[in-house]
Amino acid sequence: MRILGMLVVLWVLVTIVFLLGSVVPSEPARAYAGAGASPQVIAQKRKELGLDQPLAVRYVDYLGRLAQGDLSESVHTHKPVADDIAEALPATLELLFAAVMITVLIGLGVGVATARPRRGTGLLRGALVAGASVPVFTLGLLALFLFYYKLGWFPSGGQVSPGAATVSGPTGFLIVDSLLRGQPEVFFDVLWHLVLPATALALTPALLTARTLRSSLRFSLRQDYARTARAKGLRERDVLWRHALRNSLNAPLTICGLELGGMLAGIAVVETIFAWPGIGLYIDRSIAAGDVPAIAGVTLVTGIVFVFANAIVDLLQLAVDPRLRRLA
Amino acid sequence: MQTDANDPRSVTAAEPATEGASRPVATVRGLHLRLPGGVHALRGVDLEIEAGEIVGLVGESGSGKTMLGLSLLGLAPAGARFEGEAWLAGTEMTAADSEARRLARREHAGAVFQDPMTSLNPTMKIGTQVGEAAASREAVVEALEQVGFPEPERRLGQYPHELSGGLRQRVMIAMAIARRPALVLLDEPTTALDVTLQRTTLKLLRGLRDELGVAMLFITHDLAVAAEIADRVAVLYAGRVAELGVPSAVFRHPSHPYTAGLLASRLALAGGDRDGELATLGGEPPDPRRLPPGCPFEPRCPFSREVCSLGLPALVPSPRHPGLDACVRAAEIAPELEAGAARALALAPPPVSSAPEPAPGVAALELRHVEKTFRSRRHEQRAVSDVSLTVPEGGALALVGESGCGKTTILRIAVALERAGGGAVELGPGGRPQMVFQDAGSSLTPWMTVRQLLDERVRTEGLGAAERSRRIDETLAWVGLSQEVATMRPSRLSGGQRQRVALARAVIVPPALLACDEPTSALDVSLAAVVINLLRRLRRELGVALLFVTHDLAVARAVAEEIAVMSAGRIVERGETDRVLREPQSEETRRLLEAVPSMERTWR
Ligand code: SF4
Repeated sequence: MRILGMLVVLWVLVTIVFLLGSVVPSEPARAYAGAGASPQVIAQKRKELGLDQPLAVRYVDYLGRLAQGDLSESVHTHKPVADDIAEALPATLELLFAAVMITVLIGLGVGVATARPRRGTGLLRGALVAGASVPVFTLGLLALFLFYYKLGWFPSGGQVSPGAATVSGPTGFLIVDSLLRGQPEVFFDVLWHLVLPATALALTPALLTARTLRSSLRFSLRQDYARTARAKGLRERDVLWRHALRNSLNAPLTICGLELGGMLAGIAVVETIFAWPGIGLYIDRSIAAGDVPAIAGVTLVTGIVFVFANAIVDLLQLAVDPRLRRLA
Repeated sequence: MQTDANDPRSVTAAEPATEGASRPVATVRGLHLRLPGGVHALRGVDLEIEAGEIVGLVGESGSGKTMLGLSLLGLAPAGARFEGEAWLAGTEMTAADSEARRLARREHAGAVFQDPMTSLNPTMKIGTQVGEAAASREAVVEALEQVGFPEPERRLGQYPHELSGGLRQRVMIAMAIARRPALVLLDEPTTALDVTLQRTTLKLLRGLRDELGVAMLFITHDLAVAAEIADRVAVLYAGRVAELGVPSAVFRHPSHPYTAGLLASRLALAGGDRDGELATLGGEPPDPRRLPPGCPFEPRCPFSREVCSLGLPALVPSPRHPGLDACVRAAEIAPELEAGAARALALAPPPVSSAPEPAPGVAALELRHVEKTFRSRRHEQRAVSDVSLTVPEGGALALVGESGCGKTTILRIAVALERAGGGAVELGPGGRPQMVFQDAGSSLTPWMTVRQLLDERVRTEGLGAAERSRRIDETLAWVGLSQEVATMRPSRLSGGQRQRVALARAVIVPPALLACDEPTSALDVSLAAVVINLLRRLRRELGVALLFVTHDLAVARAVAEEIAVMSAGRIVERGETDRVLREPQSEETRRLLEAVPSMERTWR
């Protein structure tokens, strides 16, 4: 059922991307043919691209090519979009993974720390609200200004330091490959480069997650089973970690899943600010070049990432709450 | 303990089993508890619990029963301020720091709360949950065995939702006794269970007490339950002990008007009459923020005189039994109370039923051969098979049976919340039936005021604003709610008020049929009587027909002249209520009757 649902979502996404691609005012044939091409050349190009066919035929054709992994050719790199994305995606996934990790750590840490009334939590909560409402580009620029320009603790951008030994294969993920090839200095270099962009990307979702977790925890700590746990003579710490936490994860997980959408949107901004060679940077350039196939391809891939991530969130929710398993 | 005839706390059970028992496991002295918001929840409570003794704590909701129990466990709500002492086996719980209180709980106390569904952690295996209280895996299995939990070894890995309500409660009890505590607090442990489960649970608890010698503080609003299980009973009112003693004495010869009132508003399985009003305590417990200076019961007391408001009556030896009471006029009013109690306890001959003769032929609801099967991926469950029943126009039918017998499913089918799998459902003229649920709180929209909630329902009638407002005022008065309540939201209302709002909403546009799902089972005796009286008036004055689901035979008898007993999805017996209860034909009816806690039987 769940897999079927995912397929339907993906199909809707594909269709929307296709329709957008065919109704946008920018004329792809003109873009391919180059500026100042004669109308004849453009018409010729239209025929080549099959743009003179009726919409339905083009749709079926599009689906067929998609099934073979063909996302057509990029206008500005003149390479297949699929290849471009395959090259850029690992860097983005690394960034995304790091951001998700930071989100989970901060979300959990701050959420738990503020759940019980202690001195200073009011201040922390104020910081949470303020932090969660700063846009990601402000954060990115602020971080760059402070930690690179003022303090010099972190690099300004890129994935590795210039001149560092390059590693290639087998996975395409620089972090993984550097370890597999026994080059820890590259690994740490990449990690060092990751800190600022990943944090900029993660901060807003992390604080939102923390707030959601905090209110869930506060609710759980008031429930009857928490009282039962206290009556057993458990420490308040154990009441929280053993009893309340697992019962409080549903809402924060949902928020995480939703916030992932925000992260995917923020990636274009963050990769541009930090010159991170991923699909965010790629789409930034594609948009500048009016490169419709590239934009469509990236949209599709991000959509797939989003759908998968939410499927994982669903599975996590099932793992957390045994009652949901019966319904599933 | 030192037995001192003048010490009000030294009243011991008449049974020799507890006589000369060792030190008390819990001692409460002059305990006051003030909560944030000006609530004075406990106002000088004295109570002592001996080792191995079961003390019943009765009273209406808001009387401070639960607060007393939680204070003894050191679990009073945040911001609570204490005066006096509450000792739990050597630790003074009102002054000790949280770590000392925790250790005292861990070593000496256990607790069982009302709703085993919400009191167990839904995401933790039961083996783990009991394990947190037990020393080892063996101890977990042993504790589960002791409470009669079937196949404990195999079920350690199950989650609470995979167990029935009765088994969940057993898990709670196992958890409470796993460490062999000195005292177990039981807060309405059987209220959420049906009568047969209640009976087994009470027996189990007594057995555990005999076997393990554990003392119990048993909180309940059901006097008969207290009479059945407790060695001593304390009646609490407005944060004070009103009467204290051995249940057979206190309930047979109550010397406090409050106890007498509680006894009188109990429902019996025989006697009385269905058309008149049930005796109720009139009014509600005082607002714990604005208590009268004198006897707290004075505003509701039929015997009050000027002396009553002079000061707080002290707990002194009762003129009528070997226990204590806190009524300054106890000696003067003794004869009157005696007569009243005799009336309340008497097994009078069944009344000649004078229920409104239902018009022949016209039915408010008719079910014919209704079937219902619930299917999930793995298994099918037959909930209802071949049920046929009729509620005549203006008539009342009670549907009784154990939990899971299918009675609620029938009700839901009748009001079209559920679709029948087979058979026919026919409603009489008069439109959609209305429904009143057990948990009135959750059926009321939290952000609407009472007036808005009612208005929402009247709006469908196409009346003008003034007319609507008049109707709302009328209905509020009718269910006994003040104008003040109209501006409040459900969260600020008491349980009884919420149930009245639910009722007001169901009847503000009078339906031809009112379907009730256990509307009284979560209420105190006195409130239950109020709701039942309202239902009776509804029938009398508006001719509303009732379909009433309950597991409580006494409630069934109080509202309906006809009864249908269900078991495993079928109707096993049906007929005139008094006849069915007097001469039960089916095994199931006999079992249900057997299980009803009854003072009369307890003392026979
Ligand atoms: S003291 Fe007075 S008001 Fe209070 S219960 Fe006794 S008679 Fe009633």
